[in-house]
Amino acid sequence: MTRFTRCTVVFLLLFITVLPVGAANLEDKVVEHTFKNGLKLLMVERHSSPTVSAWIRFKVGSVHERSDERGIAHLLEHMLFKGTKTLGTKNYAVEAPLLEKIEQTAQQMLAEEAKGSGADKAKRAALQAELAKLEKQAEQYVIKDEFFDLYARNGGSGYNAFTSRDGTTYLISLPANKLELWAAIESDRMKNPVLREFYTERSVVMEERRRSYDAEPSAKLWETFIAAAYQTHPYGQPTIGWTSDIRQLSRTKAESFLKRYYAPNNAIIAVVGDIKPAETIALVERYFGDIKPGTPVPQVAAQEEPQQGERRVELLGDAEPELVIGFHKTAIGSPDDEVFDLISSILGQGRTSRLYRTLVLEKQLATQVSTFDAPGNRYPNLFVLYASPRAPHTAAEVEQALLAELERLKNEPVSQRELQQILNQLEFEEARRMGTNGGLARNLTEYEAIAGSWRYLTSYRAKVAKITPADIQRVAQQYFTRENRIVGTLVTKKSGGAKK
Amino acid sequence: MKIRLFLTGLISIFCLSVVYAAEPANPRSMTFPTLQFSIPKSERVLLKNGTPVYLLQDRELPMVTVSALIRTGSVYDQIGKSGLAALTGSQLRGGGTRNLVPADLDRELEFMASSVESSFGADLGSISLTSLTKNLDRTLQIFSDVLFRPRFDEKRLEVAKRQALEMIRRQNDDPKEVGDRELQKALYAGHPLGSMPTAATISAIKQGDLQSFHQRFVRPDNMILTVAGDFDRTNILAALNRLIGEVKPEGRLQLPEVSQVKLQFAPAVLYAPKQVNQTVIRLGHLGITKDDPDLYAIRVLDFILGGSFTSRLMMEIRTNQGLAYNVGSHFDVGRRFIGSFSAETETRAEATAKTIGLMTSIIAGIRKGPVTEQELKLAKDSIINSFLFGFTTPASIVTQQARLEFYGYQPEYLDRYRERIAAVTREDVLRAAQKHLHPDAFKLVVVGDQKAFDKPLATFGTVTTLAIQ
Repeated sequence: MTRFTRCTVVFLLLFITVLPVGAANLEDKVVEHTFKNGLKLLMVERHSSPTVSAWIRFKVGSVHERSDERGIAHLLEHMLFKGTKTLGTKNYAVEAPLLEKIEQTAQQMLAEEAKGSGADKAKRAALQAELAKLEKQAEQYVIKDEFFDLYARNGGSGYNAFTSRDGTTYLISLPANKLELWAAIESDRMKNPVLREFYTERSVVMEERRRSYDAEPSAKLWETFIAAAYQTHPYGQPTIGWTSDIRQLSRTKAESFLKRYYAPNNAIIAVVGDIKPAETIALVERYFGDIKPGTPVPQVAAQEEPQQGERRVELLGDAEPELVIGFHKTAIGSPDDEVFDLISSILGQGRTSRLYRTLVLEKQLATQVSTFDAPGNRYPNLFVLYASPRAPHTAAEVEQALLAELERLKNEPVSQRELQQILNQLEFEEARRMGTNGGLARNLTEYEAIAGSWRYLTSYRAKVAKITPADIQRVAQQYFTRENRIVGTLVTKKSGGAKK
Repeated sequence: MKIRLFLTGLISIFCLSVVYAAEPANPRSMTFPTLQFSIPKSERVLLKNGTPVYLLQDRELPMVTVSALIRTGSVYDQIGKSGLAALTGSQLRGGGTRNLVPADLDRELEFMASSVESSFGADLGSISLTSLTKNLDRTLQIFSDVLFRPRFDEKRLEVAKRQALEMIRRQNDDPKEVGDRELQKALYAGHPLGSMPTAATISAIKQGDLQSFHQRFVRPDNMILTVAGDFDRTNILAALNRLIGEVKPEGRLQLPEVSQVKLQFAPAVLYAPKQVNQTVIRLGHLGITKDDPDLYAIRVLDFILGGSFTSRLMMEIRTNQGLAYNVGSHFDVGRRFIGSFSAETETRAEATAKTIGLMTSIIAGIRKGPVTEQELKLAKDSIINSFLFGFTTPASIVTQQARLEFYGYQPEYLDRYRERIAAVTREDVLRAAQKHLHPDAFKLVVVGDQKAFDKPLATFGTVTTLAIQ
């Protein structure tokens, strides 16, 4: 069943290695167009079904938030489903002054709450009641989730959005004859968004946080682990925001973030499917061409200080043990990043991978082991090893076995057969990833955004083919050190107390 | 519209500014060119021994997918050996073949970047192959070895059993998983669909059990095959006839009888204590099978009540009141066995009783009067217009058609689906709601910390506390 829970915070735990789409094939098939306002459009014509997938990626994510804005990129993603000056409203002219009153009341309430223990409880409660009353009043002008209804009645499928550290993406698939509907709605969303129903939606996000992190110990461990890995760079903060962050978010902050960055020069569109690219270019020009460019998303200036000693964090939770180990590494596009992709495959991909064979099959210390990059790609990130210990074996035993495998990478060159297997799998992936409109649109927008060009995909296999066993040894020796390591463990805490 | 698009398309290549002047249209009143869509059809062929194969060629990509759908599953688990079907399913591939020990099988497939995977669900087992065209011959050979000559390697079985035991140890880690499982158990108590593996049943399973389970079910007269992608029709049929069409099953196929689920409705309140700040709420009761004449009305009802982003449950509980991120309801239409209706959400502990009350009253509300014309039209338009997304890849097309035969759907099911949805009236939806929704007979499962609830759970009936620690 497809359960519609839109607006996911992307949780990169299961997001495995970067694997590319058809090399030579893709190079010939992508049509690229940049409009005068900086909007980039990527297209692939595929006629296997009369459908089309359209993805819009903004190159702005939670990594671009200031410290008082944490969580705003994700909350804004939710808010951009709420309509525009003409959609989602019965009468914007009468609605607008009411929305202003709501925001003024909310600002007073936030100011009162900011006093912490010194806050006037009665005043706060009165403001809260006033806010609820005003929101109820404003509701009479709202046409709830009109974007969704318009897409749904026209056969839209998979209408959704997600926010990550690096970016924000809005996606939909439509019957091919309905592409103009997408252009009309999405250009209006970029030009005239109205962040109505803000404080109710903030409560929804609070529930999303409880559901995805607070009530799930393994996710809470992950959040704690990532936060411990970064002292300077905003990659350490959770995309959804900490609980107290979400409580402080306001429509004013969301609008300021929106105005700064949600502009055509910070956006990449991919349209894949039963289209004629020349017509699609004209359509996008007609609807998006008059949108003014905004501030280019700046580079994040903060740089993580080199770690000077192992960091360990533990999380007590009502769940069985988990282990996560990370090492700081370079960002996508750096030569070492591709070496890490190879290391990730050798260690963690498939039943023949080293960790699966040693830890799962032979020693049976763990039920599963995985390796991946996190929490983003655009800036220096972490190489992560994740394992679930199998009782009675402990996280400590699993940790020793994982580290022993990393030592092996430092000391012995990997075999040609292991490298060849990865190249064979890349060849397969290049074919497979061409098989769905949505998958292609995802890859094109993602790599254009994080690697600077979708051509990252087409040049990838050739670059990987040049990597030697000596490169792998060098990278393993350089990065897999004690001082560059972060270790996180979930320790079982049943009602009787903690046990290791 | 079509003409305009065509012209602007041509012009745009030379002079974009001309196009610029065209007037953007209003999404509420836009009209669209008509769409040409007919359901893609695969070819059905019988192998020499009568095994049906659905074929659909598509040369876009140099790869092929093959699958076998087998009538088997956990409903056939022996008493005291719950988990046997699941283990047989995983070890069919995981345990190697007569010719290849598991490690060699893994090595050979992964080096070719081919995959052969097997798993058995409740009433359907599937074995699937994916391969680049150039490696198809060898991968298909392995596929048939996995089907008919599995090794069920002792050592791998031991690993799989220990993993299953560990998963049982971990089954209460995520409160949502607890809620889903306990609802399933409550709905199907006394039927194989409601029985879950335990440490004792897993430990009781031996290699010989897998072998005889395999022998009983995995046979050419108990499966349907599908092939999609870049293949040569003559060659693939020759290969399938050689590898599968010549297999002679031993004796007559005898599937054990599994009784139909007994349709009964009785309320219950089940509480699983967990120290969390958000409560998991699941509720439901038994539902319908695919042969129910109300099927189409139920599809429309589902969309309106809890199956879309503007459904009644979503609108009130999430959009209007901000009580939850995830909320919805769903008729899981049974194919062989009676299905279920269930609703789910998660809300902060202090809003637990309020949210349960809201869910119940919203569900009860749809039985009290006909849905609005707008609700009906939106649901029907959405279902009808998105129908074509069921046919976007050759692999999904053949698998869907094979599944329809597997579960014995009427031959015209797909062809007439949209017109049957279109024929549903407000009265049909009301009648279906009154007949198939029973708000006074919910099995209510609540996972959370009762101390923090806004009202005691006893408000909803006699509470049974589940031991999940």
